[in-house]
Amino acid sequence: MEFLELSKEHLTSVMDLEQRLFPQDAWSAVSMAGELSASHTFYLGIFAPELIGYAGLATVAGSFSSDIQTIGIASDKRGNGLGRQLMQRLIAKAKELGSEQVMLEVRADNAVAIALYKDLGFEQIDIRKRYYQPAGIDALIMRLPIRQPIVLGIESTCDETGVGIVQGNRLLANSLHSSMDEHSKYGGVVPEVAARAHLEAIRPTLEKALGEAKLTMQDIDAIAVANGPGLAGALMVGIGAAKGLALAHNKPLYAVNHLVGHVGADVLERGAVELPTIALLVSGGHTSLLLVRHLLNDVELLGETIDDAAGEAFDKVARVLGLPYPGGPQIDKLAADGTASIRFPRGLTLPKDMEKHRYDFSFSGLKTAVARHVEKAQDAGEDFSKADVAASFREAVVDVLLTKAINACKDFGVNRLLLGGGVVANARLREEAQKRCSENGIELRIPRFQLCTDNGAMIAALGSQLVMAGRAPSSLSFGSESTLEVTQVQTL
Amino acid sequence: MLLAIDTSAGTSTALFDGQTLLSAIEYDDPFGHAENIGNAIAEVLHRANQTAKAVTAVAIGRGPAPYTGLRVGMAAGTSFATALGLPMYSVMNLDAVALSLGEAKIVVSSDAKRRELFVAAYELGERVFGPAVLKPEELEQFADFESVDGKCNAELIGRYAIWALERGIDLSDSSALYLRSPDVAPSAGKRVSS
Repeated sequence: MEFLELSKEHLTSVMDLEQRLFPQDAWSAVSMAGELSASHTFYLGIFAPELIGYAGLATVAGSFSSDIQTIGIASDKRGNGLGRQLMQRLIAKAKELGSEQVMLEVRADNAVAIALYKDLGFEQIDIRKRYYQPAGIDALIMRLPIRQPIVLGIESTCDETGVGIVQGNRLLANSLHSSMDEHSKYGGVVPEVAARAHLEAIRPTLEKALGEAKLTMQDIDAIAVANGPGLAGALMVGIGAAKGLALAHNKPLYAVNHLVGHVGADVLERGAVELPTIALLVSGGHTSLLLVRHLLNDVELLGETIDDAAGEAFDKVARVLGLPYPGGPQIDKLAADGTASIRFPRGLTLPKDMEKHRYDFSFSGLKTAVARHVEKAQDAGEDFSKADVAASFREAVVDVLLTKAINACKDFGVNRLLLGGGVVANARLREEAQKRCSENGIELRIPRFQLCTDNGAMIAALGSQLVMAGRAPSSLSFGSESTLEVTQVQTL
Repeated sequence: MLLAIDTSAGTSTALFDGQTLLSAIEYDDPFGHAENIGNAIAEVLHRANQTAKAVTAVAIGRGPAPYTGLRVGMAAGTSFATALGLPMYSVMNLDAVALSLGEAKIVVSSDAKRRELFVAAYELGERVFGPAVLKPEELEQFADFESVDGKCNAELIGRYAIWALERGIDLSDSSALYLRSPDVAPSAGKRVSS
């Protein structure tokens, strides 16, 4: 006997059993096919070796609630606890997806099923008179509450000290301290300055997060911390703090991947991340294109920058144009008054580069091209439009980012694109992403800005996914991993 | 019960009941602070057959010491104390070493990297110089002081905290004792075309 997740390929055997089980009100093959192939449903079958039972769960994104759609066991296989096993597995799935309750309806005359549901913790909360026709039998509405874990996450990979608190997929607090201003006079993030700021910020940021969530440390079920990739000295402050917190109240500790955290942030917007998805993460430290088939088990790095990160390019070009740090917002503002009339190079897009670096990025040549353009004009004493340079540079960055991301969507047949990272604040990037995605029938997802930039909530959210999936905590011995691979979601 | 944490050299922890040292843990690895800090805290409690709930105060070493490692212990001590609502006492590392040597006329120094030393000098139990960053040759001014290795650990931090609190000495400044500015200069920006 074997439990297997059902898909459209099982339609014939599912319909065969469905019609035997519910001769009067069986679902049509069309609606069953829809159920089996929908991304928000989870159908499980028991094979021995033919299909002898099945059940389905539906979880609408963002609702924090799952529904038992149907359950049935072949009449000659009943009384062996198979229904209970199916239910337990669906409940476990609902937990893993972050649902805070499981709902079902059951015929009021089905005493066996009602007893099973009560035993599993369901309570009757409502009744629908004469719901089942033509017999005119009432439906009982039953509910199983699920207490999802409360996870506190710590982020200190770069210049933001973040402490976030989530319960399951629900955001409770997202407290942030940025040392950006301290870096501005240097024109970029200085690791030692960032690390010093983290140590000073950790206590107030932690206290603020607990205050926002109206919780104390005793209420927290687990701690998560980003242990890479990032600046080693900065990471080590967060790790030290996380270990101290975990030990103070004997809480399990999860070391999680910062980049995967950016993808995981999306669960706080719409519940479970719909997968597979291509993710484009663009910040001052990263420019990475990921294929995410499963948030915890299957994240693949398709490509990344081979030199500067996109955000870094914005900072450097801002300096060329005499604008302050951070460059992104400055260039965005200036570009609004210009036209993208200068054709700056798009890195790694020539045919020969596309063979080896189809999904990789390069912004160093672009930055140099902008600098040359500006120097040439200045040397010749020509009047030139800074706004046009800013707009043209921004256009080159946006174009190459989205061309490669959309290519990845098409190449892998994935019609979802998720954006993350601080550069997502760029208005032009968001606008163009929306345009190109709708042209190509791709669903675009951009979490709210506070969840796109580095933050503690996304680390808590990824930790929470691990807890809900029943993963073992990390040991106490993990360290900082500056170059942590994106395939390593958790460091054990 | 006082939990002392110090990552100025290796990673060390010590647990005191009153004046009595119950247990002490020390990992010598000068780079594995983030890796070792958790086990160092867990083990020092375990060896004394205690849990975190028994701890009533935390003491940490605040340097001077190589900062990357130092901050790990400070962060762990800070979050541990915050999580349990405990007072935290921050101890200057060279003072802790000096106290362990009584009232001798000593100059205490530890490696500050980049061929420099963190230095403080003491006479009759009083600090008369430092803490400061000096070059090794600058130690000549302390020719009539006995030179002492300033390697510290959590036991010394804990003992200093207990001693200082009895005397009403203020140990509330929990910032790291940085004796150098971050080693950077704003970039002027370079030309790319010749």
